[in-house]
Parts: sequence; structure tokens; C-alpha cells
Amino acid sequence: MAETHADWLREMEAKSRAKQSAFVGGISQRLGRPRPTDAPAQPFRGAPEFWRGFEWTPEERIERFAGNWRSVGGHVARLPDMDAVREFIAGKAAEMGARYIVRQNEPELAALGLEEALPEAQVSVWNTDPDICWKARSAEADFGVVMADYAAAYTGSVAVLSSKDKGRSVSLLPTVLMIVLPVERLRTRLGEVLTEFDRAGRKRLPAGIHFISGPSRSSDIENDLTIGVHGPGVVYALIVG
Amino acid sequence: MSAKTAAGTVKERAELALNDDFLRKAVKFTTERLRNGKKNASAEHGNWDEWRERGRQIRLHTIAHLDYYLNQFVNNARANGVHVHFADTGADAVKIALEIARRKQAKTVVKSKSMVSEELHLNDALQEIGVEAIETDLGEYIIQLAGETPSHIVIPAIHKNRYQIADLLSEVAGEKLEADTTVLAGFVRKKLRENFLEADIGMTGCNFAIAETGSMVLFENEGNARMVTTLPKTQITLMGMERIIPSFEDLEVMATLLPRSATGQKLTMYMSAITGPRRSEDADGPDEMHIIIVDNGRSLQLGDPEFQELLNCIRCGACLNACPVYRHIGGHAYGGTYSGPIGAVLTPALNKNVAEWDDIANASSLCGACYEACPVKIPLHEMLIYLRRRKVEKGYGNKLEGAGMKGFAAVMGNAKRYRMAVKMGQIGQKLVVRDGGIRTKLGPLKGWNSYRVAPSLPKMSFRQRFATLDQEIREGLREMSPDVKSRMEEAIKRRKQDGGGHGHG
Amino acid sequence: MKVSLFITCLSDAIYPRVGEAMVRLLARCGVRLEFPAVQTCCGQPAFNSGYWEEARESARTILKAFEDSDFVISPSGSCTGMIHHYPKLFENDPVMLEKARELQAKSYEFTQFLVQVLGVTDVGATFPHKVTYHPSCHGSRLLGVKDEPMALMRNVKGLEFVPLPYAEDCCGFGGTFAVKMADISGAMVTEKADHVKETEAEVLVGLDMACLMNIAGNLKYRNEPVRVMHLAELLAEGANLL
Repeated sequence: MAETHADWLREMEAKSRAKQSAFVGGISQRLGRPRPTDAPAQPFRGAPEFWRGFEWTPEERIERFAGNWRSVGGHVARLPDMDAVREFIAGKAAEMGARYIVRQNEPELAALGLEEALPEAQVSVWNTDPDICWKARSAEADFGVVMADYAAAYTGSVAVLSSKDKGRSVSLLPTVLMIVLPVERLRTRLGEVLTEFDRAGRKRLPAGIHFISGPSRSSDIENDLTIGVHGPGVVYALIVG
Repeated sequence: MSAKTAAGTVKERAELALNDDFLRKAVKFTTERLRNGKKNASAEHGNWDEWRERGRQIRLHTIAHLDYYLNQFVNNARANGVHVHFADTGADAVKIALEIARRKQAKTVVKSKSMVSEELHLNDALQEIGVEAIETDLGEYIIQLAGETPSHIVIPAIHKNRYQIADLLSEVAGEKLEADTTVLAGFVRKKLRENFLEADIGMTGCNFAIAETGSMVLFENEGNARMVTTLPKTQITLMGMERIIPSFEDLEVMATLLPRSATGQKLTMYMSAITGPRRSEDADGPDEMHIIIVDNGRSLQLGDPEFQELLNCIRCGACLNACPVYRHIGGHAYGGTYSGPIGAVLTPALNKNVAEWDDIANASSLCGACYEACPVKIPLHEMLIYLRRRKVEKGYGNKLEGAGMKGFAAVMGNAKRYRMAVKMGQIGQKLVVRDGGIRTKLGPLKGWNSYRVAPSLPKMSFRQRFATLDQEIREGLREMSPDVKSRMEEAIKRRKQDGGGHGHG
Repeated sequence: MKVSLFITCLSDAIYPRVGEAMVRLLARCGVRLEFPAVQTCCGQPAFNSGYWEEARESARTILKAFEDSDFVISPSGSCTGMIHHYPKLFENDPVMLEKARELQAKSYEFTQFLVQVLGVTDVGATFPHKVTYHPSCHGSRLLGVKDEPMALMRNVKGLEFVPLPYAEDCCGFGGTFAVKMADISGAMVTEKADHVKETEAEVLVGLDMACLMNIAGNLKYRNEPVRVMHLAELLAEGANLL
């Protein structure tokens, strides 16, 4: 029996590696051929050819994105610049009585100056103080404010990527989610975003990539739609530019 | 799976379901909505058959090279810092999961929806070592409280109504909750939020695993899978060994097919790709991440030309929603973890115990609605026939039926004997024909005539009439128009060129 | 050119009028249907139940019957569909496999032949009734016969077409399924007949006598006065050929 947890993990690791060749070898055997050493040529990879050239104009992308987002119960605001974003968030915070706000630690959001715009509220910036439990801080927040890293108009989805400065909790735990989406990050197809991750390669991928397409929902009770089951029930996409 | 074989035969379980009016209505209503949603979504998206074919090709290729891609996935996941484990059987997977739970001294495990976990009956095993396993998908939470198993791959509590659900949740709440969806869902949100924040382990299934990056992908609408992969310190993912796709690029195809086929959505509200545990500076996400790769009968399909395609399944549930049999009897009547057409094939295939599960394959009219609905074109209706054939070949066939089929072959293998049989029928039926039909419920006609009147045989069969008819036709036959003639010749020519075949092959 | 009728055992023994309708309709187009009497059944009941050895016995009579035909026409999408399974059924018998492939290539469901090969969509019929149509699963879903019957019905004078709700749902026949899983099958056919009633049609047509026998049997059991017939019968009757 391993002494420490780390020892045990190492033990399991060794077992797993030993098992791997038998497990994978078993597959080769069933497939009736030796295990390939080189990557097999993929006869078809990704979306059909006719789909790859498909692209909407920037204006159409915004329209379609907004239409999709609204159709699942999300809210959309089209805003000219970041000043308008600040005003919008401040206005909504006042309207809903938001007292606790958590935002990602991103320069665009810092430049918003939410702290000054909302003197009544407590605005926390993700992972800026090691003594704070940031998951709990997010769970008690009324608003979470994040930047969209990418978006796809065709499905009405934004992608948020995790990092030291960008918590997964910020887009998940608060009651209301505000997503700031600069228009230049909005693409037509989901595939345009997904291929970015192939291009980046394993080593450069964040631990969490989350596509969000609207408020949390469930139809598990009598197929009756309920909004806000576990994740945020109120979700704003603020399209800027 | 066989450890928890439901009692009785499919027939008996179906009878129960057929007599449960609420169940039938509920299942009908929901499957109806889902299949209409799918129809609309696939029509709106357009070129659906091209997308299906693309999805099928990607899955076919991946499964045909599963050794390469699985190995690649494992190496990449390890490089991401994931602890990967291999389980040949369900019992092995349970053992590994329990060992992790023990090592972590876990008290509670929060789980998001995983059909593999249902396959393993993992919750019971965790309970036995004193670990509380909490299902957090709303539907799964409800059936866990009821002590039941899911009756649909996508909508596990499809068979429960709001009053039954209100009663279950009121017991947890310690107060009477109104049978209102918003109230009930609101209660669950609050209740489970505490569990998410306190749980020691988060456990998930895996929709897709990306070989080239070692990422695992989850589709969901509620946000509970995100909770489970964000908040607890340890994450365990149960993954069927066939969940692999090569790249993110391929994920676009799966993301196009899966939500549309399952619920008619363009995309689920959340689609998450998790690549390893949290990075050292991240302030959320698990410190430690395990992926348990489960075989449990899957590899038995590999190299089997009739069943390998079964591994292409992406668990969307579209075949359940399209199936007229499922609509009438619901999921529990199938008696296994997986229900509907996919369950009818997968359950015996994974267990490799055709005999034990013999009657499931019979619970289908072979109408092919499942194949038509399947986003990766798995020919389930044909696989059902192959299962039936294997059962017969192995000598597990019904004796009476076997004798009947011998008789069938004797009669149908020879036109003379066939003619005699028809003649005997024409004479023999006189005892039972009344008013042009047969209503007796005796013997083999019992089942048929409980719902129908059987037709009687006319005095003369077609072959008995043909000579006279042909005589008359020949006398008055029109000249074939040159246009018709050339079209027929053209058809023969075309057939010779491309080897023929119209309709399905 | 030799055009042969594959009557199917059900139409032969129980519904000979369907065969007669086909013979008379095609004669009108100048096509004489010949009938090789060595044919029996396509073997589907045995095949679908898993008794392939027995199915092969029966299938051999079909392969033999149509060996030298140029076209093989049947009043059933399901039995034609069974012929499409012959290559699989004889996959381990190279000689029979070749014959199976040949037969598959030249086999047609009745409306498929009429519309796709002959190019006929108007047989000059008049049928002044309210008609609904059940597309049988094997014909429509697996053989792809969808537009052909519609085109033919559109050109029947006086025919008032009423779409059948949930038309594509299986009627619950499924061969031995109707006997083995009688209660499930009963629930399915009852639902189907309910939908037929909803249309208030006088006539239900289809392209497969097995399904029609099933639905008609349930309608009769419930004393519903809906006339059930094969589309070939409707066309022939409308053209005063029957």
C-alpha cells in the first residue's frame, strides 16, 4: 500500500501504463491487424466541403447571433463602445439591485471602471487575492462579467476560455451573466472557432473551454421548459462595436 | 449490467407499460416533441443526409482505427496531467472509482449524467462504502430519489409527472412543495448548489474525447456538468472506449448532429472541452483529474462486420423518439440500461448473452424508423435481425417457432407443396369463416384476433386465376409505345453499367 | 423484354385482385406481365425471425422463378425489399450471390416500375372518393418509394386526397411481431386506425397488402366502414379495368 497520495498516484500510473498496451493491443487484435504506428489518413475530416466556404457578412452575423440568443431566452444589447457597456451594466445593476459583482481579470474589463460606476456594489476581480475562495465569491455574486473569447453566429454561441485570470466560475455561478462580445470576435460557423483549437494544439489549450448558448435550462419535468436550473438563468450578450 | 436484469420478459414488462395510461401519454407527448424538434432542426439546417453521411464516415474511420486514436488520446490526456485508467469490465471500472474515492476520503460525489455510470451501477457501489453519490442532472436527480433507472437516454424521468416529482422533492425539502415546474426546479437548484460546493469528487460521463489534444467534451443544458468539472477538487470521468473522435474540427460535425438529433437544438446551452486538471495558477477546476476508460463489452463488437457500427452511436436518443414500440411501452420495458432500438441491440451485444436477452430483439416491427432517425446511420433494424439469427444459430430459438419455420421452408421451398397448402387453407377455413372474416381467438390467432379480424381466403388464388386472365390479356394487348419501350431498354442498359440497385442496397 | 410478376404469397392467396389489377394496368401500357408459377414466398417471415436456412429454401424459388426475367414487379415494397437482402442471405454462396445481385438490380415495387421505368403517372383513372394513404415502412423508408404513389394519385380524376396524420409511423404489423408481441402490435395498429378515422376518408390505400391487412383487420374489428385497397386496385378500378 502506497504511503502518500502521490505515491499511490504513481503506483496507479505505472499500472495504467502497463495495462495500456494490453488494452490497446486487444483492440488491434479484434480489428484483425497489427497496431498502426503512423497516423491513419483521415478520408473525411471535419464538416462537408460545401459548408466550409459558408460565411455571413458582419452585420448578418450580428443579426443571426442575436436572433439565436433571444430564441433560447437570452438577452442581447448592441452597444457602440465600451463606455456604453459600462453604462449598460451599471444600469442593469441598479435596476436589479445587484450588490455583488465578480469579473474576469482582463484589461478590457478593467478599463470599464465598473468599480467607479458602481460605488454601492462590491466589485471583485477574479483571482487577484490568494486568500479569497474565488469559487465561493462567484457563487454569492449577483452579476458575473466576462469577455467572450470567440462567438459563432450560426449556433448563437460564445466561447469562454479559462486561465489564471479567467475563472470558469465567473460565467457559471452568479445569478446573472454579462458577456461582452466585441464584434470582431464573432464568426459565422462553429467550425471557425473549433479549428482554432486544433491550430493551437494540445500544449496551448486552456483547461476549460466553454461554449455558452444561452441561459441554463431543463425540460426534465414533464418536458416543461425551466430556465436557470444550475447555471445563470439571466444571460446578456453585449455586442460591442 | 446483467446483475440487475429486470424481472420477467419484455412481453410482461410491456404489458405493464401498456396498461399504464399516464406513462403511455407522457412518453408519447415527449417523444413527439423531441422528434418534431429534430425534424424541424434538421430541415432548417439543410443537407441533412450529407451531414449524416459525414458523421458516419468520421465515426467509421475512428472506430476502424480505434487502437491508434485511443492510444493517442491516452498519451495526450496523460501529458495534460490526467490520470488515465483502463477497465475491461464494469466491475473493474467500479473498483478503480471506489479506490479513488477511498484514497480521497470522499464523503460525497456529485455526478452529471453518464450512461456508462448507469451501466456500472456505480451509485450503489459508492453507497456501500459509505460515499453519497448525488445525481445533479434534474431528471437523474428525480429518478435517483425515486430509486429508479432512467427510461430514456436524454430525458431520464420521461415517465414521471409533476405530482409524483413534487411528492419526491417535498420529502427532501421536509415541506410540501407545489407541483409547479419553476418551484420544483428552483428547489433543486438551491439544494444542489450546496452539494456542488461541498462535494469532494465530481463525476462525469464523456460525450466525445478528442484524440489529438486529449480533451474530453461534454454537452448539457443545465450547467450541472460544468459545476461538477469546476468546483470539486477531484474529477473522475467515465468514458466508453469508443467515444473518440480525432480532432476539434470533427467535433463540429458531432456538434451539428448530436443536439439537433437529441432535442432539436442548434447547440446545447453548454458545450465544454476539458483539457486536463486546472493549471497551477488557475483558481478553479479540479486539482486532480481521472479518466476511466471502460470496455465492458464494447470491444466485442470490433471486427464483427455485423455489429462494429454499433460503436458509432453518439447516444442522442433520436431512435427512441422515432420508435413506435418505444412510444407505447417506454424505456423500462426494455429491461436494460439502454432502451429503445439502440438498447434492444446494444444490451445483448454488450453482454454477449443473446440467450438471456432473447426477447428484446423481438420487440421491434423492423420498421426502420430508428435507422432513418439515426444521425450516424446505424442500421439498427438490420442488427435486430442479425441478433435473432444468432440466437437461432446458437440453438436458443423457440422450439415451437423453429418447428413452424421448418414447416415454412418445406412449404415455401417448393411451389407444388405451396399450392397444396393454399388449397388446404381454402377448404379448411370453411369451419371458421363468418361474414368474410375470421374472428376466432383460438390457437395461433389469439394475438392477432384480439385486435383484428383476420381475412379469409378467396375461392381462387391468383395463380389459379392467372391462365384465364393471361388468355384475355394476350387477346387484347396494346402495342407498346416506342417511348415506353426505349425507357425500358434504357433501364436495362443503366443497370448493366452501374451494376444496378435502386433503393437501399 | 420479359416482365415478370412477383405476386407475393399474401397477394396470391388472399388478395388475388391486386395481381389482376397490376396485370390489367400494365397491359394497358403494352406490357404483358408473365407469371412464373415456381415462385412461392420471398422468405421474409423466416429471414426476419432469424431462420436464414429456412429463408434460403424459400428464396431459391424466387431466384429460380425470375432467372431469365428483365424486370420483376411486385405489389409490395416489403417483399421487394426482401430481395434486396438476398445478397446478404447468400453472402457465403458465390453462385447464388451473383444471382441474388442480378435479381436485386431488376426488382421493382409496382409504382416504382410504373413511374420510374415506364414514366407513367396518369393511367386515366377516375375515382371520386375521399382517399388517404399509408406509406408502408419498408417501401417508403428502405426502398425510397415516396413520390411515385403521390404522383399517380394526383392524376386520378375526382380523387380527394386527405393526408394521414403520422403517416410514416409503422402500422404495427412487422410479420411475426404481430403474433409474438401481440399487445404492442395491437396498440400500434389501434393508433394507426385512429388516425385513419380522423381523416374521415372513405378509402385507405397503400402499397403493401400485409400492412393493409393489418389495418383493415383492426378497422373491421371496430366496425369502421373504411374501404382498404392497394393502389393498383384503385387505379384499375378507376380506369374501369376491374
